[in-house]
Amino acid sequence: MSDDAIQVQGAMKRYGAVMAVDDVSFNVAPGEFVSLLGPSGCGKTTSLRMIAGFIDPSGGAIRVHGRDVTYLPPERRDLGFVFQNYALWPHMTVAENVAFGLKLRKKSRSFIKDKIEESLSVTGLSGYAARLPRELSGGQQQRVALARALALEPQVLLMDEPLSNLDRALRVVMRRELKELQARMKMTTLYVTHDQEEALSMSNRVVIMNKGRVEQIAAPYELYENPATTFVADFVGITNFLEGVVVDTEPGWVGVRLETGQVLRAVIRQPVSRGSAVRALIRPERVTLSTAPIDGLNVLRGRVVLSEYFGAVLRYTVRLDDGGTLRSEVHNFDGFIAPGEQVWICALPEHLRVIPHERRAGE
Amino acid sequence: MIRRLTPSLSPGLLAIFIFVALPMLWVVRTSFNDLAQGSFIVETFTLDNYTRFLGDPWYLVNTLWFTVRIAILSTAVSVICAYPVALYIARTTGVQRNILMALIMAPLLIGLVTLVYGWIVIFRGGGLLNSLMIALNVYDEPVRYMWDIKGVVILLVYIGMPYIVLSLMDSIERISPYLVEAARNVGASPWTAFWKIVFPLTMPGLYAGLVIVFSLNFAAFAVPLMIGDSNTQMIGLVIYREALLNNDLPFASALSVIMVSVNALILVGMAVLFGRLILNRLEAKR
Repeated sequence: MSDDAIQVQGAMKRYGAVMAVDDVSFNVAPGEFVSLLGPSGCGKTTSLRMIAGFIDPSGGAIRVHGRDVTYLPPERRDLGFVFQNYALWPHMTVAENVAFGLKLRKKSRSFIKDKIEESLSVTGLSGYAARLPRELSGGQQQRVALARALALEPQVLLMDEPLSNLDRALRVVMRRELKELQARMKMTTLYVTHDQEEALSMSNRVVIMNKGRVEQIAAPYELYENPATTFVADFVGITNFLEGVVVDTEPGWVGVRLETGQVLRAVIRQPVSRGSAVRALIRPERVTLSTAPIDGLNVLRGRVVLSEYFGAVLRYTVRLDDGGTLRSEVHNFDGFIAPGEQVWICALPEHLRVIPHERRAGE
Repeated sequence: MIRRLTPSLSPGLLAIFIFVALPMLWVVRTSFNDLAQGSFIVETFTLDNYTRFLGDPWYLVNTLWFTVRIAILSTAVSVICAYPVALYIARTTGVQRNILMALIMAPLLIGLVTLVYGWIVIFRGGGLLNSLMIALNVYDEPVRYMWDIKGVVILLVYIGMPYIVLSLMDSIERISPYLVEAARNVGASPWTAFWKIVFPLTMPGLYAGLVIVFSLNFAAFAVPLMIGDSNTQMIGLVIYREALLNNDLPFASALSVIMVSVNALILVGMAVLFGRLILNRLEAKR
């Protein structure tokens, strides 16, 4: 267990009556890239700042490579931190920004010089050493912030929405560079973002947070394919929900009776009890439309009400005959279905997921 | 941009020219005039007023150099007193902040004469300050503050503080707390983070405050007049005496020209020094 680079155990932060972070636990293995993903106010940044030591937790424990750092001041934690707004010291040149921590560690002049050169070249900033932060673009400033953190070879790199102040095109470029750099240096990274694309594309594992709590911790593929809660299913990607009650339970699959009375079969991974309220969900790209009638299991019927063409993707909105709407995404299409046309949908049992229909405070 | 601003600035520039530049030109001209029979100004061109100043150690040392020293001393003490206050107020909010700001601004609002009379109560032999110091066992015998340089410096410090606090607070509030966190993160103690990050970034505010307060102290007149004695010959007071008591306008003018020039020189020196130290880095190049 103490092999973990970071271990957060039951971390809590209370602000008056509000629990900003409520019993959050997760770990980051050495060399791993873990993201904290969630909407604004979900407690992800507060969690990261507690790990960095900028905020004192109200409870719980934080360990870095087995060492309890819960109440250590930030300067004694040996963690790199990259801020959303870069937080470069405006009165110092790029080189001075990078050198600051090294000087505090009383490194030799030649060591510092080499280290500045190395970390600037790694972040693609060679030749910018003498510039002042205000003479750099946003993307370059964030590279300096990264170089500043990397120069100290921290045990873990913490990043707080480092790309969200950049414009979209640059964000995508920087995202790839960052991931490539992290993988090459095998830098243990904890990354906070509200951008699911970033989290899914960069991370080994993602911690999904909502209202101060952890909703699910899983690899990106697992999150998308097997969301544990409605929140995760809704937050990560687009999904179709069908409300129902479990009527049949068999090993490996269940029958879910929809409000219309129709029973859908769905493959399950965790057992659900008979009679429990559930949501069956299916991703839009799994919803295939047929203009010819189909018979059999799990067939739903409806009419196309809207078709949106995006080039690579064609999106249909289908109103089911029994009420409710489904969204469908087609990637390899060879024809359009006109709005108003009758369609049949076969929701394959292995494409349906069943999630307990939890009702929580505030929903 | 500058061209577009020019028309809207011109009435202001005109006012500055009429009410500041013209009188100063007149003062410069007068400083080269002569005084006949001790009271009548004679239009001429003589350097007598300047040679009289430069040739007399009393003016050079006891007035000009003395004024420079007092201005530097009281400005420095103002800064030392104002800095922690500004740091503290910058961290407060709401009612607490409003109360503290009102207290700091008070000397600017009361009016100098009322203020000085108030301080006389504090300064005099059996006054508040002496009673307090004796009660605290700092010294045994009452110390003379009134009609003494000590009282002058204390008052100049007090009057200078609000300017420095205000200009420092402006700088302090511009500093993102993330800059301090970033410093702590790379290994700086709170103290190191203050000296290496916060302090340098407050230099623009400190500089602005220094310029204002040094100039005010250098030209101090009312405080040495009301609190000082014959040994506290600050140059502003000497000019007043020459102009209004001795009726020697040409000499008073020469003293004024010297005062303004020396002040300007010191300010230019400060600008160069601060610019070299840090301001050039913080201000965008044009």
